[in-house]
Amino acid sequence: MNKKSLRLFSAEVAMGVGSLFFVIPCLLLVLAAFKPDSEIVKFQGILPKQWTIANFQEVLGNPEEIPLLRWLLNSVLISISTATLVLTVSSLAAWSMARLRLPGKPIVYGTVLATLMVPGQILLVPIYLLLNTLGWLDTPLALIVPAAGGAFGVFMLHQFFLGIPKDLEEAAALDGCSRMSTFINVIVPLSRAPMATLFIFTFVGSWNDFLGPLVFLDSLERYTLPVGIALFQTSYYTEYGLTLAASLLCTLPTFIAFMIFQRQIISGMAASGMKE
Amino acid sequence: MKPRASGWIFAAPYLTLFMAFVIGPLLFGFALSLFRWELLSNVKPTFVGFENYTEAFRDPYVHQALGATLRFVWMAVPTTIILALVIATGLNAVAGKRQGFWRAAIYVPHLLTVSVAGILWRWFYNKEFGILNALLRPIGIEIPWLSDVAWAMPAIVLMTLWWTLGGPSVVLLSGLQNIPVSYLEAASLDGATPTQRYFRIILPLLRPVLLFVTVMHVIGGFQVFGQVYMITRGGPELSTRSLVQYIYETAFNNYRMGYAAALSWILFAVIAIFTLVQFRLMREERS
Repeated sequence: MNKKSLRLFSAEVAMGVGSLFFVIPCLLLVLAAFKPDSEIVKFQGILPKQWTIANFQEVLGNPEEIPLLRWLLNSVLISISTATLVLTVSSLAAWSMARLRLPGKPIVYGTVLATLMVPGQILLVPIYLLLNTLGWLDTPLALIVPAAGGAFGVFMLHQFFLGIPKDLEEAAALDGCSRMSTFINVIVPLSRAPMATLFIFTFVGSWNDFLGPLVFLDSLERYTLPVGIALFQTSYYTEYGLTLAASLLCTLPTFIAFMIFQRQIISGMAASGMKE
Repeated sequence: MKPRASGWIFAAPYLTLFMAFVIGPLLFGFALSLFRWELLSNVKPTFVGFENYTEAFRDPYVHQALGATLRFVWMAVPTTIILALVIATGLNAVAGKRQGFWRAAIYVPHLLTVSVAGILWRWFYNKEFGILNALLRPIGIEIPWLSDVAWAMPAIVLMTLWWTLGGPSVVLLSGLQNIPVSYLEAASLDGATPTQRYFRIILPLLRPVLLFVTVMHVIGGFQVFGQVYMITRGGPELSTRSLVQYIYETAFNNYRMGYAAALSWILFAVIAIFTLVQFRLMREERS
């Protein structure tokens, strides 16, 4: 074995050993969901001695008290609506700021950029009172609409739009395209990659949001998965089997989506970190 | 291009939402922090000036929450950056196709939403039947992970490392891959050892990405909430209660909106100071 392949081999072994730290806890979650409670509350080895699907049956068979599918549906609807709304309003605004005549643009864009530094929690209390006045508390609107005011999407797409050659838009305008149809037929097709990244980012952020739903929602059947599961832990405190089975079920959709969109998610993450 | 309808029409939907849900609440939140404003009580909101802020500076719970938050940041952020750098370097050394596999393996914990990750680790940390103590017991160790002040914060940090390391590792990996191979080849020709290449060429070129990742993690670290809420609820003896959790409890358990708004602005100020200091340090180092 020469020096280079030895180095390659040792790197691979190191990664293999290191990744156990990340993978094993996930495997334990999967295995524990198939264990009877007696094996969970008394450690008897990593593999279940007696495989059972009773936990899943109980979690899914009691939609009155544990509306798991309802929470899943809420999460899906809220995340899709949030990502769609953010993508729509941010891309239109970013394009008009990058390209169109916008008197006072530097001040407007500067203000938008400055708010990137504001941590979300600082807005929690005032937004809660605002939503209370609007009567939106305990509705999906409370989570969807305020998210669309965020600056990240505008910032990201603005940077990208600046890099698109102007000739294309000018040609479209000469052909008599309206602004809107130029945007839809010229800009959108050219911007698929950053738009997909923004959509996925917003979707994931909304899917995993914990503080928002915890504060803004309070009826059982309106919860999203993260808050539903958290509540579950509080009320089924001692029934680890149920809690873990529910946890596994609510991770499955994310896991499947990750398998499909892995490249976009990871390259989007990487790209977002490369911009200074 | 002949001038047509102003761009404002396209920007209007976003800017309306931006004013209503960012600028408005920001200003309203600051105004709120100058009032005694208690929801669910008969007392009308009254203007109190900076009284909420002076109360916060004297409030022992604020000191405790700030201390816990700082301890979290101090324990979690440097380890995250160093380990992510090690992982990224390791991933970068693995040949092409296999790299994607290991990268995905490291990223998997981040697919768990915070409540699931919290439940899972709460179970691992259980003193009687958690797997960690089950593995340690044969060698005569039993750690009261979540009930001992000395162990609770390290336990939160360990779980956080497991949960979040994938992100910065991926970012740093792509930073490493953006370094032109020609630089490294030139250094080898000049007789640089691998260690010299790593510390003299790779790390300096990686610095902008490292700064970005560090700043983002410091900002994120000051906002820690979900995993603490799920694993310890701030205990034992409030030793892991973070500023965000204290703000949450002040606003939504005690309904003291004005005081919570003031605490939010204090958190913002702390984050802003730390961010500025980091940028300043980096700039001084450069010049």
